[in-house]
Amino acid sequence: MQGPAGSGAPRTPQATPISAQSRAVDQLANLPYWLIFILLAGILLIYLYSSNETYVTALGRILNGVVVTIYVTAISYISALILGLAAGLGRVSKNKVIYNVATLYVQVIRGVPILVQLLFWAFVIVPLVIDGVNALGQWLTPILGDPNALTTVRSRDIDFTLRCIIALAFAYGGYEAETFRAGIESIGRGQMEAARSLGMSYPQAMRYVVLPQAIRRVLPPLGNDLISMLKDSSLVSALGVRDMTQEARLYASASFRYIETYTTLAFMYLVLTLILSAVVRFVETRWKQM
Amino acid sequence: MSSATGPIVSIQDVHKHFGNVHALRGVSIDVVKGQVLVVIGPSGCGKSTLLRSINGLETIDSGRVIVDGTVIDSQHKNINTVRAEVGMVFQQFNLFPHLTVLENLTLAQTKVRKRNAEESKQIAHDLLKKVRIPEKAQNYPAQLSGGQQQRVAIARALAMNPKVMLFDEPTSALDPEMINEVLDVMLDLAREGMTMLVVSHEMGFARNAASNVIFMEAGQIIAKGPPRELFDNPSNERMRQFLSKILH
Repeated sequence: MQGPAGSGAPRTPQATPISAQSRAVDQLANLPYWLIFILLAGILLIYLYSSNETYVTALGRILNGVVVTIYVTAISYISALILGLAAGLGRVSKNKVIYNVATLYVQVIRGVPILVQLLFWAFVIVPLVIDGVNALGQWLTPILGDPNALTTVRSRDIDFTLRCIIALAFAYGGYEAETFRAGIESIGRGQMEAARSLGMSYPQAMRYVVLPQAIRRVLPPLGNDLISMLKDSSLVSALGVRDMTQEARLYASASFRYIETYTTLAFMYLVLTLILSAVVRFVETRWKQM
Repeated sequence: MSSATGPIVSIQDVHKHFGNVHALRGVSIDVVKGQVLVVIGPSGCGKSTLLRSINGLETIDSGRVIVDGTVIDSQHKNINTVRAEVGMVFQQFNLFPHLTVLENLTLAQTKVRKRNAEESKQIAHDLLKKVRIPEKAQNYPAQLSGGQQQRVAIARALAMNPKVMLFDEPTSALDPEMINEVLDVMLDLAREGMTMLVVSHEMGFARNAASNVIFMEAGQIIAKGPPRELFDNPSNERMRQFLSKILH
């Protein structure tokens, strides 16, 4: 009785403060200091906003573009997922024509900078398509009877926001294609074989067996790409689309308040990406539980 | 479609190459309805390839495979219809991990057989009783032991009401104490008159259930006969060596 209690008694009070202390050190070491830094920077900015009229004006101008930024990001991303899924399925297809078309798309997209792709869609592909439609309309006029049926499409009818969305969607679609391909290939061959041996067709096996598993597996990279898309949407400012970046550029060049404007702009993107990555993490954990 | 007397599976002079490897060298087998055929042989002898060619998972270079009167051609549109008539059980179970046991059993029923949800669930529950794990319907495959998973896989194949069942080394990936629970289910099936082709080295199962045993080596059938005849009195020297190795 005496032995174990005597040997145990001094150890316990000695052990407790050490472990509590080390736990406190541990907690202190594991605090998200990066987040604290960002919060402090935010507080500093808020202080600047309360004391400096220019910051408030800059923020007001930049917020004018936030809807465009989010709109462009959302539409482009959803379109990119659809394009990427289609191209990803093409990349694993046994059909040589489909495989080659999908691979050509992916290789071209990955070999050209996104800014150049935006310029190319806006100033080369879209005008060419419009010319093509008009030529077709001219040719069809005697048949259709109505001279205005297809000849009235003007270049300015397709606004630059839409051109940018198309370009971003195709650019990111190329990247997502490889993500989807990797996901599909990571699912063992046995899954496809089991589904096929039950009499399912290839599309059925893909849809009900392989893709549900593959998509769950590629959620993290897909989430990362959504955040990248938000940042890359700033490229649309090069074509004059009035997103946050373009609003900032217009204000800065008119007021010469570069420091205030671009600090606010950078911080706005940071806030948006942090919110978005929290959302992405939330969705990922929810899906993992399912 | 099928005549009562003709073979339900007919394999006629089948050849298959994998690159330079001649995996099947003119294999011919007829399986009559209700027969249980056990295929044995050293690894790489073409047993699995033979089995997989019966439901078109492996294309063949020449010869013919006829299942229930239909020639198997993996490029042909009717391949899905034929596959639905041929149940397959894999060494690695290949259950769908994102679906519950019940959903594993109902998916192909509703998508391929076009049964309604109610009917397919009923069939699934009945089959889970048959393979002795009715309580696992709502579990996911990862929550089951290997033996349980393989029994679910058997039930999943049976849910399509196949005319033939193929077993590709169904117990090779199992812990020893789980082998019997799977073999018992297979024995039940054999007794009920299911036509079965089984690639397995379970000699006990072969003795109890097989109507015929085939010994393959290097892509050819070397010996064939009822299990008692073949095991107790192997006429072929190569087969004698093989048996002496696996029977201990």
